[in-house]
Amino acid sequence: MPPGLDSLKHIVVLMMENRSFDHMLGSLKATNPSIDGVDGTFWNPDTMGNPVYEQPLAEFQSQLDPDPDHHFPAVDLQIFGGDQSATRVANMQGFVKSYYQQQEDLAHSQKIMYYFTEDKLPVLTSLATNFAVFNRWFASIPGPTICNRAFAHYGTSFGQVGMNVFYPQGKSIYERLQDAGHTAKLYYFDQASSTMEVVNLLQHQPELFGTYDQFLADCKSGKLSDYNFVEPNYTDHDNDDGEQIACDQHPDHNVQAGELFIAAVYNAIRGNAALWASTALLVVYDEHGGIFDHVPPPACSGDGHSAGPADTGLNYTFNFDRLGVRVPAVLISPWIPKGLIVPTDRVFEHASIPNTVTRHFMGSNTIGTMREQNSETFLDLLSLDTMRTDAVVFNT
Amino acid sequence: MATRKAAVRKRVLWEGLPPLPPGDYTSIRVPLPPASAFRKDRPISDLIKAHLEHIHHAESARLPKEKRDGRRPEDIRTEAEAASYIATVTRILHPKGRKRSRRKAGS
Repeated sequence: MPPGLDSLKHIVVLMMENRSFDHMLGSLKATNPSIDGVDGTFWNPDTMGNPVYEQPLAEFQSQLDPDPDHHFPAVDLQIFGGDQSATRVANMQGFVKSYYQQQEDLAHSQKIMYYFTEDKLPVLTSLATNFAVFNRWFASIPGPTICNRAFAHYGTSFGQVGMNVFYPQGKSIYERLQDAGHTAKLYYFDQASSTMEVVNLLQHQPELFGTYDQFLADCKSGKLSDYNFVEPNYTDHDNDDGEQIACDQHPDHNVQAGELFIAAVYNAIRGNAALWASTALLVVYDEHGGIFDHVPPPACSGDGHSAGPADTGLNYTFNFDRLGVRVPAVLISPWIPKGLIVPTDRVFEHASIPNTVTRHFMGSNTIGTMREQNSETFLDLLSLDTMRTDAVVFNT
Repeated sequence: MATRKAAVRKRVLWEGLPPLPPGDYTSIRVPLPPASAFRKDRPISDLIKAHLEHIHHAESARLPKEKRDGRRPEDIRTEAEAASYIATVTRILHPKGRKRSRRKAGS
């Protein structure tokens, strides 16, 4: 076993909200063509049939308001460009058309094709270029937050393609680990932000949960669990510490606040030398939030569930046999070669998270769905024989 | 006022890196969001609407009627209102998540 894997005691997943790969990391292609990002040539037709090209004009806030639609029917339009035929092919031609439907404002609908330049996102882009960036990490479902986050927790959404409350019929990654004598924790930001895993909180063990303050304290004291999932702050609100700005990067929340949060989570791990040597941090986004990406999501094996027209909002049954739109994903560890680009022939999705964690801590995975068990795992990226001593340091 | 608010955001979101041993470091400056970025009166998104439904579901499942908060998710309009309701129910579901003071004794 490579020494990095041998010494790996903790896995931390930070799941952000609603941004696509091209929107956040696509500009990195300019400095490294191996990163499958933007080059200014990808376009979508607007509702008049005119081409709208990707442009480096994304702003931190107030640009994607209203929140771009990313429910199942809208994502279907975004991926297939409005083609409803049985022989249709994913072409990523419907992002502008989809955004237009919300306000019927031609100029505003073009903003869905904007992306950030590297200098605007110093945290995410520097982590991507210093550690490992995934060319093919997709949302698990072409749909919204709750069902996609479910794949990170359970390896399936139990047939859900939307935002409804559901009760799981299988064990979350946290329960699997606990049953096997390991430790796991799900850290939410504070009580006013809470967790998107309310049902887990309701149904099972409150002891699985902690707050962001606890996460910071656990990093400092070296008491992090084997597996740790961190949720950002989902709302602007006040608490005893004063104003708490949303840091999830969900439109129309400020993207810089999310950058700061990613840096803070990284710093908390980086600041404890023993923890840094024994931890892998995955920063990943739950879904694309309706924002453009040029890579068609591939087909995938089903997970034994199907969602009928009443659930999809379309005239067909979805068999969970296609992934959602591509999202940013970066794996961070001192055991990863600098500037690693995970190639396009390796396809990851959120089921890769419980599959990877289960296999690492429990040796094998016979618990998850077949789709989860067959999903790509990512810890082989910790391939160095010697731990890196160079480091990225974030400061304000 | 704006300075104080920015300081609060910095304190809560930002944990500075403790001193590191000598090494090959790349120092990267992370800008703070402007004070104007904070808008607690922002109308809630579909995500927060769904979150409220989930929280309400949990409240209904866990608490007898007389102990419930009484607010209805469909009446909640802003992020601050949503956060207030979510905090109330989360406090009941997960009392251990209560904010711990960072102040040291005597300070």
